[in-house]
Amino acid sequence: MLRLGRLWRSSLQLRTVTISVVMSAVAVGIIGAYMSFSIGDNLFDSRLALALSASERSNAAAQSRFDAVQQTSGLDLDRVMDTAADAALSSSSTSAGTSIAILRTPGQSGARLPVDKLSAGLDPDVVISEGLRSDVESAEERRLFWQSVSLPREDNGSDPGLVVGSVLDVPGSGQYEMYLVYNLSDTQQALSFVQATLWLGMATLVVLIGAVTFTVVRLIVGPVRLAAETSQKLAAGELEVRIPEKGDDVIATLARSFNGMADSLQAQITKLATLSQVQQRFVSDVSHELRTPLTTIRLASDVLYDQRDDFPPATARTTELLHTQVERFELLLADLLEMSRYDAGAVDMELEPTNLVRLVEDAIDAMGTLSASKGSELRLEAPGGYFEAEVDARRIRRILQNLLANAVDHGEGRPIVVYVDSNKTAVAIAVRDYGVGMSVAAMERVFDRFWRADPSRQRSTGGTGLGLAISLEDAALHGGWLEVWSAPGEGSCFRLTLPRVRGTMVTESPLELPPVPAATKEDA
Amino acid sequence: MNAKILVVDDDTALAEMIGIVLRAEGFEISFCADGAEALGAFRAVQPDLVLLDLMLPGMDGIEVCARIREESGIPIIMLTAKSDTSDVVKGLESGADDYVVKPFNPKELVARIRTRLRPSPETPSGTLAVGDLVLDVAGHEVLRGTGKINLTPLEFELLLALALKPQQVFTREMLLEQVWGYHYKADTRLVNVHVQRLRAKVELDPDNPRIVMTVRGVGYRAGSPG
Repeated sequence: MLRLGRLWRSSLQLRTVTISVVMSAVAVGIIGAYMSFSIGDNLFDSRLALALSASERSNAAAQSRFDAVQQTSGLDLDRVMDTAADAALSSSSTSAGTSIAILRTPGQSGARLPVDKLSAGLDPDVVISEGLRSDVESAEERRLFWQSVSLPREDNGSDPGLVVGSVLDVPGSGQYEMYLVYNLSDTQQALSFVQATLWLGMATLVVLIGAVTFTVVRLIVGPVRLAAETSQKLAAGELEVRIPEKGDDVIATLARSFNGMADSLQAQITKLATLSQVQQRFVSDVSHELRTPLTTIRLASDVLYDQRDDFPPATARTTELLHTQVERFELLLADLLEMSRYDAGAVDMELEPTNLVRLVEDAIDAMGTLSASKGSELRLEAPGGYFEAEVDARRIRRILQNLLANAVDHGEGRPIVVYVDSNKTAVAIAVRDYGVGMSVAAMERVFDRFWRADPSRQRSTGGTGLGLAISLEDAALHGGWLEVWSAPGEGSCFRLTLPRVRGTMVTESPLELPPVPAATKEDA
Repeated sequence: MNAKILVVDDDTALAEMIGIVLRAEGFEISFCADGAEALGAFRAVQPDLVLLDLMLPGMDGIEVCARIREESGIPIIMLTAKSDTSDVVKGLESGADDYVVKPFNPKELVARIRTRLRPSPETPSGTLAVGDLVLDVAGHEVLRGTGKINLTPLEFELLLALALKPQQVFTREMLLEQVWGYHYKADTRLVNVHVQRLRAKVELDPDNPRIVMTVRGVGYRAGSPG
């Protein structure tokens, strides 16, 4: 049933053909029925008229026989009856057979009584109803009465029939009723034949309509389906597909506009791809061009820096400043190049199944001296679990370094806790500090490029202003999230959520933001 | 005796600066600024180590590296401004032992040079078997049956490190420390590319390695003998 429903919805042709066939079948059925009844009625009426006029003649013929008898007496009234009946019948013969019954009206007195005349095989009680007999008997004027009846057949079937009754005056015997029974089976046959032909014609018409609709719809749906399939291919990336344009009708117009659209899409996409390649190459070339002189400067500054003890104080200080700024310049250049790679879409990821807890441990170790110098204790909280995920370890390491450095910077010497947790689809790392925190306005802008919370703060870890922006891009590259929570005076928490397997969607993070410390959890 | 280093770089200022730094460390420096002349300079100078820039006029640095490799197994360290994986891999595949991205910390450069030039640590003499290969430890030779396989010293050390502890799975970091001498987080791409190079030379079917086996998610280990 579902299959049918789906087929119905998906096939325009099926729907159209079915609807047109059904509608035309209904129309044809109504018309056919009307015609059939009409013809039937008509046939019946004309047959009735024939029967009535024949009966009239028959009555006259029979009556005249009886009237003729008056002149002569001593004739056998039965024989007269026969003659009268024959005369009547001969005036009313039909191909299907006419029967006659001449019955005496009951309740009369009289002398000589001819026997009731009945045709062979005619059972008056079956055929001639009481109602008809009473009508004929009690008629006040000479007229005909008729009734449709059903004539039984030998094979237990029945034929349609017509009984026409009229009165006869038998001299000396009284009133007799003459009933002529007409078998209408021949008319019935004619009618059936007409009806059959009619229905056959109608059915053929419906089938033809179905076929015509099918062909017409095919003519229309064909190009539309082609357009739909071509669109799908275009959307899938085959930029060269086009629809053949033939003729001048609306389908050709569709084809032409589709092809125009595809042309413009292809041009645009190619242009963008070329642009991206050009930008990539530019980035690459710039990087080379900038880096070489920078290397020389770096080396020179390092040589001077190593010898600063031999310089007069001002020169020594100059050398120190030179050294730190060259370092800063280097970092800035590296970060800028990284950002431009993201912008050009030219990043390559080296994904490997990595144990994230180990990565976090290494990052914490690397940050050891720096955090100690600020007085912040670095702690890891990772409940047991399966912490492998498919990630680019270099990028995750970079994110961790950035988050930890920021935490140490703004941690005000208080402890920094790193939480690691996971669920079935994702792994999360949160870096929580209890330092200065930031306002809601600052939180909204913290991931912006070159944005700093407080430019005047002493940044011991250096920093180009691009750290969080790059971290955000790296997180997004993995299909993960990087989010922040903060409250002024209470500290901040940055939460990184990554999918375990590349390509799955992260729907919820295994850690809360900010995470609930284990101690509190146990108490609760 | 001071080690001789050949610096091949077209940026003369940088080359001079490198020269100043390395001379202060006690090395003897020679210069070459053109790729086409590099091979000639190499043969003339016979250095103990080559610092090779990738972007050279005349002949491309990759080409120079490959040519030098054909003649000698001496350490070659690439200097490059391009840090994209494809460029790094191309350089390493052509025969370089290590690469340094510009701009670099001069102390780092010196450390890497010293590592490459250090004499091999004392290893047990004799032979080791790895898969169907025989390693002659003292002679630094690898034999398959009677056929000798040519490996650069670095490649040999890599294979040796794995072969000395056949049951051990070495992580990339461990290999970086043991074979390259790095005690900090270095780029593990180095290990990846060198394992590929080694496999290309010693494996009968590099796609089904029997000598250097990958342990997924961890690192590499030596295949069992036989």
